[in-house]
Amino acid sequence: MMFTAVFMVGPFLYAVYLSFTNRKLLSPLPTRWVGFENYIDVLTSSDFWAALKNNFVFSVVTVPLQTGLALALAVLVNQKLRGSTFFRTTYFIPITFSLSAASIIWSVLLNPSGLFNTVLEIVTFGQFTPDWLNDPRYTMAAVIIVSIWASVGFQMVILLAALQGVSQDLYQAASVDGANAWEKFRHVTLPGIRHQLFFTLTVTIVLSFRLFDQVYILPPKPGGPIDATNTIMVEMIQASGNNQIGKASSIAVLFFLIVLFLTIFFRRFEPKDY
Amino acid sequence: MRNSQVKKPKRLAVTALVLALVASACSSGSTAEGTSGGQTTAADSGDDTSELVNSDIETCDGKIDKDVTIALAAHSGDDAYAQTVDDFNAGPGKELGVTVELVNLGEESYEDFITGAAASNSLPEIIDMDGPFLYNFAWNGFVQPLGNCVSQEKVDEFLPSVIGQGTYEGELYSLGSFDSGMGLWAKKSDLEKVDARIPESSADAWSAEEFTTILKDLETSGVSAPLDIQWSYGAGEFRPYAFASIVQSGGGDLIDRDGYQTADGFLNSQGAVDALTTFQSWVNDGLVDLEAIDDNNFINEDASFSWVGHWKYNDYKEALGEDLILVPLPDFGAGSKTGMGSWNWAMSSAVEDPDAVWAFIDFATQAEQVKSIAAFEGAVPSLLSVLEEDPSFSPGGDRYLYVRNLQASPEVAVPRPQTAAYGFIRNEYSDVFADIVGGADVEETLNQAVENIDADIESNEGYRPAE
Amino acid sequence: MTSIKSAKAQARRKSVTAYVLLASFAAFFLTPVIIMVVGSFKSDERVLADQKSLEAFSPTPFEGLENYQQASETGNFFTSLQVSLIVSFMIVIGGLVVNSFCGYALARLRFRGQRLLLGLFVALIIVPFEALLVPLLLMMSEIGWTDTIRAQFLPFIAQPLYIFLFYSFFKGLPGELEEAAMIDGAGPFTTFRKIIFPLARPAYASAGILTFLYSWGQFLWPVMIARSEEVRPLPLGLTFFRGTPPVQWADLLAYATAMVLPVLIVFVIFQRQFVQGVSNAGLKG
Repeated sequence: MMFTAVFMVGPFLYAVYLSFTNRKLLSPLPTRWVGFENYIDVLTSSDFWAALKNNFVFSVVTVPLQTGLALALAVLVNQKLRGSTFFRTTYFIPITFSLSAASIIWSVLLNPSGLFNTVLEIVTFGQFTPDWLNDPRYTMAAVIIVSIWASVGFQMVILLAALQGVSQDLYQAASVDGANAWEKFRHVTLPGIRHQLFFTLTVTIVLSFRLFDQVYILPPKPGGPIDATNTIMVEMIQASGNNQIGKASSIAVLFFLIVLFLTIFFRRFEPKDY
Repeated sequence: MRNSQVKKPKRLAVTALVLALVASACSSGSTAEGTSGGQTTAADSGDDTSELVNSDIETCDGKIDKDVTIALAAHSGDDAYAQTVDDFNAGPGKELGVTVELVNLGEESYEDFITGAAASNSLPEIIDMDGPFLYNFAWNGFVQPLGNCVSQEKVDEFLPSVIGQGTYEGELYSLGSFDSGMGLWAKKSDLEKVDARIPESSADAWSAEEFTTILKDLETSGVSAPLDIQWSYGAGEFRPYAFASIVQSGGGDLIDRDGYQTADGFLNSQGAVDALTTFQSWVNDGLVDLEAIDDNNFINEDASFSWVGHWKYNDYKEALGEDLILVPLPDFGAGSKTGMGSWNWAMSSAVEDPDAVWAFIDFATQAEQVKSIAAFEGAVPSLLSVLEEDPSFSPGGDRYLYVRNLQASPEVAVPRPQTAAYGFIRNEYSDVFADIVGGADVEETLNQAVENIDADIESNEGYRPAE
Repeated sequence: MTSIKSAKAQARRKSVTAYVLLASFAAFFLTPVIIMVVGSFKSDERVLADQKSLEAFSPTPFEGLENYQQASETGNFFTSLQVSLIVSFMIVIGGLVVNSFCGYALARLRFRGQRLLLGLFVALIIVPFEALLVPLLLMMSEIGWTDTIRAQFLPFIAQPLYIFLFYSFFKGLPGELEEAAMIDGAGPFTTFRKIIFPLARPAYASAGILTFLYSWGQFLWPVMIARSEEVRPLPLGLTFFRGTPPVQWADLLAYATAMVLPVLIVFVIFQRQFVQGVSNAGLKG
């Protein structure tokens, strides 16, 4: 409890306080109360909005894609086929990779002449082989691919456990009623796993706003090229790296408010029990 | 004891401020006379130095009170530095009762270490820092002016660039044993192949258009990406050090050096935009090598030019021999410019007996030590007398151009902005330059950078010296 | 007859489709892993050059441990490994002890303000750590802890999420067992150790695995607070290694392999617990 007080409640209140000051990490000047100056500064800077937009784009693309893929994988693995344990293991392996390691490996694969493009070249008959990491139009897509690779296994395992919890009797009852596979999925599976599905969705949304490791390591510069993958966390780091503790704190507080808003917003859609 | 350490710099700072005001008032009247006495071509900085030494800051009192051990926070523990410390301790140090202890901090986290040490009141006595750290350190009161410790005769022995780099708010804070050289290494045979004129000094540097033609001709002749710019060095000090000269040569600057309050009209001036647009066009036309995995493409691959500092000389010379020549950076309209500056010695504010510290700095900047340290670094010795002895730095020598540029500081070799805002400017420019190379709109990018820099200066209340 | 046959054929077709899908996904997930391991044994130039053909999957020309040696000498792998081990060990073990005790106290002890405190912890779950890092950085710099290893684990030991996880777990255990032990004369700590801990194994495993994965991969905070070589954990060490020219892909892949392999091996051995641990987190949510 002491820990929590010292390392969570304290810092949070401190962050709120700092965000209203011109505090620097290092400065001979006395710290002054500056009111909403930092917030105005942040909210009127095009960099911040560009970063926020990137977070949104990432979120809007990744959340459905990743959750959908996780569900598909879970359903596939859940079939009583020989070797499904092996496949489950395979899909889960990237979870043991730190994002930093994953980013380094994918830097090789996503090189203009990397394996990813070699495959694309065959599939698209040489029509589409972009410079994923240096062309600002494609870098976010690259970040999304890496992110999904690295963390879809997480959701898959959670959804798989949920699938296994759905009673077989319900499926049999549905079969008796003459339901086809899709109807069973729609009316038995989905309702059966809706709690976990909702859980993975909300967690993925919140995580997508914390996006940092990949966009720091993959592009030629953190958040780059130009501002293609700049995120709120990168903005925060840059402000604090530039000695602007007050400004960085205001970004942190804004970040918290966004996460809080999203959490409360999505709570409203939380499935109720029967 | 701690109290006295904290109080002292404050008192000094106030005195310094007053004296700086007086000094600058006096010097404005004496500019005309000052130029004739200057032994270098840089009349302005020669003039600056005279006011430095006239300053009455009594840092030194001429005697060492008792035997002391002082710490030297060095950026390297290698031979030349260890040797200098050993020689001092065995020689003048022994006589004076001063022992120096070398603490090697390395380069990467040097700045952070000093900052941390200041926060915990445990600053080492001698700080060996990279040039541009000085201004922020001085603003924060971590270092103190050398004041009357250093004599005018001593100051006159140095390259004017070294003195310029060591000056903040009109006071001399640091002296270096070497300076850095920056320019364009080229392969003579390649230039002859495309019939390019070979410029001898920065005064007859290639214009940007001329250089564009040369690059294109080289490419036509079969050289892929003829200009290697050491992109593999990544973000950090190298970019402002090597590429701020493009802005300056276009007639702009990183910041308005008159008061250091804004970058508007300087970093985003038409000249700066044009110069960087030209540079960007080289990248777009595939004339610049961005794929190099290290700084050896100039010798391992076919690049004809290498935009880099003095530190590659030995490798290049060994590989290319007589084919290696040093040419000035291209002139984007306002003359060829180049970066400069490197690690140098300063006295921290936590010093009990400045005379003891000065004894070491004085020793480390004498001919013999300068010779060995500069040779070890592969850099340009900071003393004129040492330079004269070395054929490589004398007329006709491979690296004579470095010396000429540094002697013409700040007109040709431009010190990084002497303001505590430099840390921010460095990060911003490094970022902006990468964006421009990556294809961003030049004017828009520079305007955004100006906005950010001005906002930072404002939020630091102008980085004016604290009272 | 025919209908049974066609049903069988249909089932087979279905499972063939399933296998094709399973296999292509497996290729997507495994290829990067294989490229990493294979690349770590090749020469630096071949890593990128071979990506155009199937040679990408063959470790030729085989360089043995050459790249690993580079990762260790130039990349300071072992220094970083040591940092990461200390940080992860402290966060995992310290976290398990602190969080489970907290959860236990909230579930079993009666004291003033207990409900309020519980509410506070639940509320704190949604405060992302990222929002606290800036003030933490300032606090660390004020007490001179920047660039230390302890600054990397101390703030991350107590985690409201896991306190709540343990709380709900303990809440679900019948109280009679402990009462029986108390009657037999066991003190609270003995009770905890003898009765509660064995029962709570799954909760410990789940929390332990998740905190380990988190602490092993932690990157944002080290970027802010760690500078010197001696205090860089593996993820930061890896990025510094990449930032040191020349960029040698094979050396980097060797570093990555060495960093990932221990976790991977532990994962394969304790696979069931891993999967269980992660899915438990989902059920609790």
